Amino acid sequence: MNYLTEVWGSRELLFNLVSREVRGKYKRTMFGQLWSLVNPLALMLIYTFVFGLIFRSNPPPGDPSGLDVFPLWLLCGLLPWTFFSSVVFSSAGSLVANAGLIQKVSFSRVVLPLSTVGASAYNWAFEMAVLLVAITIAGGFVLPWIPLLVLAMALLAVFAAGVGLLFSIFTVYFRDTEYLLGILLQFWIYLTPIIYPISLVANESAKHDGLLGTPFTLLGIYDLNPMVHFVAIFRQLIYDNRWPDPLEWLICLIWALAAVGFGMLVFRKNERNLAEAL
Amino acid sequence: MNNTAVRVDHVTKSFRMYYERNQSLKSAIMRRRRSVHEDFLALDDVSFDVPTGSTFGLIGSNGSGKSTLLKCLANIYHPNQGSITHFGKIAAMLEVGSGFHHELSGRENVYLNGSILGMSRKEVERKFDEIVDFSGVEKFIDQPVKNYSSGMYVRLGFAIAINVEPDILVVDEVLAVGDQEFQDKCYQKFRDLKAADRTVILVSHSMDVVKGMCDQAAWLNHGELMTVGDAEPTIKSYLDSLTHDAS
Repeated sequence: MNYLTEVWGSRELLFNLVSREVRGKYKRTMFGQLWSLVNPLALMLIYTFVFGLIFRSNPPPGDPSGLDVFPLWLLCGLLPWTFFSSVVFSSAGSLVANAGLIQKVSFSRVVLPLSTVGASAYNWAFEMAVLLVAITIAGGFVLPWIPLLVLAMALLAVFAAGVGLLFSIFTVYFRDTEYLLGILLQFWIYLTPIIYPISLVANESAKHDGLLGTPFTLLGIYDLNPMVHFVAIFRQLIYDNRWPDPLEWLICLIWALAAVGFGMLVFRKNERNLAEAL
Repeated sequence: MNNTAVRVDHVTKSFRMYYERNQSLKSAIMRRRRSVHEDFLALDDVSFDVPTGSTFGLIGSNGSGKSTLLKCLANIYHPNQGSITHFGKIAAMLEVGSGFHHELSGRENVYLNGSILGMSRKEVERKFDEIVDFSGVEKFIDQPVKNYSSGMYVRLGFAIAINVEPDILVVDEVLAVGDQEFQDKCYQKFRDLKAADRTVILVSHSMDVVKGMCDQAAWLNHGELMTVGDAEPTIKSYLDSLTHDAS
């Protein structure tokens, strides 16, 4: 509890660091903030071409929204994912990048990884707003779901912060983490139903009983990936326009709390040694 | 009123000197253990009290543990044994301008740096004019700091740090920069702090500075505390040891 009070006490510093990231990032670029849209748009074009047109991923139309637009369906999962992966990636490097500061000034270290969450969340909110406009134009009705959407975004941010805290400490002790993380995230995106619908996995799973005679099914193991559930919530809210399954909320809540609890614990244990370890 | 500002109580700090440090997974797995190291004692059972309102100098040759002690005082390192107790708000100036963002303007950096040093937004707002005035960069305050000369950079950093107005200020050798005029301004500021009954702990290699400013001093040699007490005799015994070594 004391630790949370300490973090709360540094909220002004946290805010200033977030605005340093946000304002410093696109300084001296011609298009400024628009650049944060370019990356997801490029991914959208590539995946739509490869998986929408060539492989014919064919997700089911939104129920009850009736939307049947592959790029929009894709973005509902892709934007939360790019947020998550950018938080994890930039938190992981945040302590090493600010080594000079850590060795010279005493302040609550946890604000460094947390500030990357804030900076990525800022971009993400911008991207999501654009997506909501696009979905509305395509015929979806997202307005009433916005409060729940904000809640889901907050849950994912908490989950990402927890994972980021953990990796920020790993990176201090093992600099390889940064490179390993790039590969890990590549695997992770393909193990999450972002560019293909989960029904493909469910169909495949139904063909086999339990794997190697065990009661574990393919889908059961697949479901262990927390991002599966986060993506499900986002799709149901903004693409299908319906109440997400309460069980999905519960799973996401548990994952988020577990990640942030464990991340904080590990961070706190190592925080005092950071100045020496860096 | 407590008349001790900082109590350093049997502080011991050792570092691991790594011969083969595993900062990569490959080496960790290949060797099956974390690393090979030996402990190096940077501070060995150091104890002293710093009286409130005094200017306290830390002297000693290179590698004597002054900076380590300063970092322990500043809460950056944590002693292996013993404890450091401070009575009052402490701020450290080990390097000026840490955390400046080069693309942001001087004004934005004042707010950013102020909050890193523990000031609230209101405090920075209140002291903003004083900070800018002290630094002497008024004309360039809305320019990005990457365009500042190194002198301007340091002056702005110093002006922010000194306006944190702590009860106890810990200063590393940061005064060697800046021109004569700015240095005089700094020394005047230290005298003002002293007059306001604040405690200053500083490290310097310039015995003239220590003589001129400090009323108490501690001499460290290879992590051990040699003498502590009034500045004059402490400096004298330190200088004597140097000439003794030389002859």
